[in-house]
Amino acid sequence: MKKLLSSLAALALVSGAAFAQSTIKIGGIWTLADITGKQGSAAAQLAVEEINAAGGINGKKLELIVADDEGKADKAAAAVEKLATVDKVEAFIGGMASGAEVGKIPAYAKYGKVVVATGAASSAIVEKALGPSPGSDYYFHLHPWDYNQGASYAEGWDAIQKKYPRIQIKKIFLAYEEGAFGKSSWDATKALFGADKRYTIDGAPFKSALLGGGDYTAVLEAAKAFKPDLFLWAGYDADALPMLEQAKALKFSPGIYLGAPPGWPIGFGSSKLARNVSLYGMWSPAMNDTNAASKKFYDAYVKKYREEPATYFALLSYDAVRILADGIKAAGSTEPAALIKALEATKYASPLGETITFKSSNIIKHQGITRQKILQWQNGIQEVIWPFEVATAEPVYPFPAWK
Amino acid sequence: MNRNIARAVAAVVAAVAVALPAFAGAYPLQVARNVMMYMALAITWDMLLRSGQISFGIAGLFGLGAYAAILGVVRGGMPVWLSIPFAAVVAAAAAFLLGFLILRLRAMYFSIVTLALAEMFRIVIHNLHDFTGGPEGIVMPAGVIFGGNAAALYWLTLAGLAVALAASWWFEKSRIRFALTAIGNNEISASSSGVNIFRWLLVAFTVTSGIQGLLGGIYVQSYGFATPDGVFSADFTLLPLAMALLGGMHGTVGPVLGAVLLGLVSEWLKLKIPYGHLIVYGIIIIIVILFMPAGILGLARKMSRGAEGGKS
Repeated sequence: MKKLLSSLAALALVSGAAFAQSTIKIGGIWTLADITGKQGSAAAQLAVEEINAAGGINGKKLELIVADDEGKADKAAAAVEKLATVDKVEAFIGGMASGAEVGKIPAYAKYGKVVVATGAASSAIVEKALGPSPGSDYYFHLHPWDYNQGASYAEGWDAIQKKYPRIQIKKIFLAYEEGAFGKSSWDATKALFGADKRYTIDGAPFKSALLGGGDYTAVLEAAKAFKPDLFLWAGYDADALPMLEQAKALKFSPGIYLGAPPGWPIGFGSSKLARNVSLYGMWSPAMNDTNAASKKFYDAYVKKYREEPATYFALLSYDAVRILADGIKAAGSTEPAALIKALEATKYASPLGETITFKSSNIIKHQGITRQKILQWQNGIQEVIWPFEVATAEPVYPFPAWK
Repeated sequence: MNRNIARAVAAVVAAVAVALPAFAGAYPLQVARNVMMYMALAITWDMLLRSGQISFGIAGLFGLGAYAAILGVVRGGMPVWLSIPFAAVVAAAAAFLLGFLILRLRAMYFSIVTLALAEMFRIVIHNLHDFTGGPEGIVMPAGVIFGGNAAALYWLTLAGLAVALAASWWFEKSRIRFALTAIGNNEISASSSGVNIFRWLLVAFTVTSGIQGLLGGIYVQSYGFATPDGVFSADFTLLPLAMALLGGMHGTVGPVLGAVLLGLVSEWLKLKIPYGHLIVYGIIIIIVILFMPAGILGLARKMSRGAEGGKS
């Protein structure tokens, strides 16, 4: 009996060790109550299942363990500690809100495991808290920093005006929500569009409907008086429809009406108000017609979850797993030094329509995407109008007058 | 006998709390830090409540302390360790000065003004962009205090909690208790008994605000950054309130009990229901407020009285 028990115990130990060795654990941290986190974690799980179905990584299965940061710094720090010390993950992915991401950084730095971050655009706190190389070399940032975004919009509008001479932009008005997101958009807009005096810039803050606001009359009146060629608002999905309703009431129809929320309300495209509203983003289902990787991701996601990916954060999270898996495969290990070296050689054809590589940004060494896209709602679909190499439609100009 | 048992239990709990880093990993220590932070805030809220004044200004004074600490270091060149007591002094001084204006108010008027104060501090920080970093926030260039050492950060938060517990104990055991209780019960009779109402309210408001500022300083140095949306978050007002309501108000034990329960339940729910834990957490808080308005301690006292009544 004693012998049998010893044999069973030994077997349990061996099989446990074998299971541990046959699995590579990665920790994913998102704000799960938010659509970006919900769909981001779902897309990451999809990538894990696809990788495992194709034989795993170097004979090992990939396992994703998801934790919620609740969008708060202290909860985010607890999530990192739990994944690192209890689940013993070998790398991290995820992230969205800068205020939560910066709470993770001390714990990330302490463990030194590789992080492929999907969100956090605020360079003023996140990039600054990460610090320069080599201290932050473990951190691979996929999402563009706020200054990258601003630069790509300036580049995009310059290119659009050159290609379509009927579109002329001289005056830009930015309505920005009064928080960190809106203020950094305002600073970037002033710096990038106002620098060489080619554009006249004006702007005003508003309280987002997400944070208890929702009356945009003052900011829209100011914009209307300014007569902008490009009206841009930086806020949240909750602001999208009410702001359009109030713009309609005020009969405010600028040449280009553009919104830059992190995500759009579900069903926004089917609203009559959405007609020819422009937007900034990284991806649209319209790209399925021109990009095979995009279509493959979209079909697999819809098949598994019976809903459309509503934000590009789903694709960023999918990409994070894919990039990490390729890196581990190339490195033959999850040991940080080897994995960092392998990830530095990344050339990943993303469903977002570009090849992701890592280059230095203003502070850190490993920045992935630096360019966003300019899109436009046309007949209920987000069409890409710039960059031209991935464009799915020509821009409709001007924004139609209200009837 | 009961008092001796209570002291023995408190001594054991204190010893376990101090020694926790010796046998707990980084994750439980981080969870304990979160629980202790809200516990200390719940205690300070309750301390002022003993005078009958309901403050909604916790997040304002917490955030003010947080910014005082980080700006003291970044703009003032202050040593990091000194920035934490400095945060307490700034919050206490602000409360002392504002107290002359707002402690003449009572009931919901006082509550609304404290809520407005919190928003006012946030807006001021928001708009002093060059000095405070504005809405984007500000980062500690040297990173987190103690190099992010989990045990040291735990002890730092524990020290903040110890200050709150000691102050609460002082409020319970000194003559302040009689003054605050008298004010809470009936101001006219308190005044006719010689209680200087304004003076004792000012003491309570200044002390509790100073501790809230101290906790803000500890928080900001533990994470190495501050943003207005982060440190002035309504969570720092609402969660301590919910904890004190759950545990039972008008004493030290209730908020402690409520913070432990809600803090641990929140973390446990997150592990068990990662995609829906906040809904369940919210439902629990609503049920507690509806069916246990006097909290767990109140319920325990009611049951104990019922049992004694049954015996007699």
